[in-house]
Amino acid sequence: MHEEIGGHALWHVPVLGTLHSDTILTTWLVMLVTLPFFAWVGASYHSAFINKRQTILEGLINYVADLANGTIGPKGEPFVPFFIALGVFIFVLNEFGTFPFKAFGLPFGGSPTADLNTAVAYAVMIFVVIQVSGIRKDGFAFYKHLLGPFWPHGQPLGKSILIGICNVPLVMINVLEEVLRPTTLAARLFFNIFVGELLLYVIVEIITAQIKIGSFDLSMAAAVMPFFLEIFNFLVGLLQAFVFVLLSIVYLSLALADEH
Amino acid sequence: MSPQVIIAAVGALGFALITACFAIGTTIGDGLVSARAVEAIARQPEAQPNIMQFLIIGVGFVEANAFIALGLGLYLFFGVAEVPKVMTALLAAAGH
Repeated sequence: MHEEIGGHALWHVPVLGTLHSDTILTTWLVMLVTLPFFAWVGASYHSAFINKRQTILEGLINYVADLANGTIGPKGEPFVPFFIALGVFIFVLNEFGTFPFKAFGLPFGGSPTADLNTAVAYAVMIFVVIQVSGIRKDGFAFYKHLLGPFWPHGQPLGKSILIGICNVPLVMINVLEEVLRPTTLAARLFFNIFVGELLLYVIVEIITAQIKIGSFDLSMAAAVMPFFLEIFNFLVGLLQAFVFVLLSIVYLSLALADEH
Repeated sequence: MSPQVIIAAVGALGFALITACFAIGTTIGDGLVSARAVEAIARQPEAQPNIMQFLIIGVGFVEANAFIALGLGLYLFFGVAEVPKVMTALLAAAGH
């Protein structure tokens, strides 16, 4: 079966336009797998004792909770379930591309995070969470941090105006930083997963080209590579899910930090 | 020379440049991270698990940029310049 690079099966929906049907179907499938699993684990939390079901995820939950509490402080407590759900969901989405559903002609398969739309959606979600929680904390005084790092503290009027003028070029950099954070978050996740699949594509190209250099069969030698690439992709998917959550926590902690 | 051939040649050259640059940069970054981790472990061997965790996170950050560069480079190679297609056409025209 011939695969286009970055090609997707499409749905043409009247109002929404063209949709990537394989990405949507795979995300729904992952939701179908993970939601009952977490409901099953969560149902065991009614008793006061730790039972076998809870120990499956207790280490992960403790780790993320410690990370959020240590970075954000006590205010990070309400965000812990959000970050755990985000991390686990992105991890499962990353690793779902390992299963060869598409090769059997099924309409779903591949990593949904290898589609820029998925990665951008999560980054936009993080952006919205940061803005909303910042506004809930300070009101619209939250956007004071865009106006620059220097503030006049009781200086004479001329010096205060000078400080204000010095801040003007920094305002643009601050706004740019605010927008670039979710952009790099999305780009990091998307490109890591996408290039993992692209490297497999390149290996397939080398194998099908049947390159021979003298008596050395390069295509035969390249046929070993997918095995190691899959292991590498698994580790990269785990690492990128973790890095996504870690960076989200760090950005949220910057928004929720107290002025001093 | 047709425009496609020139674009393919420049695209191949650009892909080589991108690959070389991100290889150099990522290697330096990985080396710095690993060197500091080894120094830290030599100073405090009992803190090794903690340091290893931060080493892996740091390497993850450095490698992510290399993947972004590789993705854009492969897009240039296969998508924009279409080097394999042009090369096949050239070889066919030369009678191979």
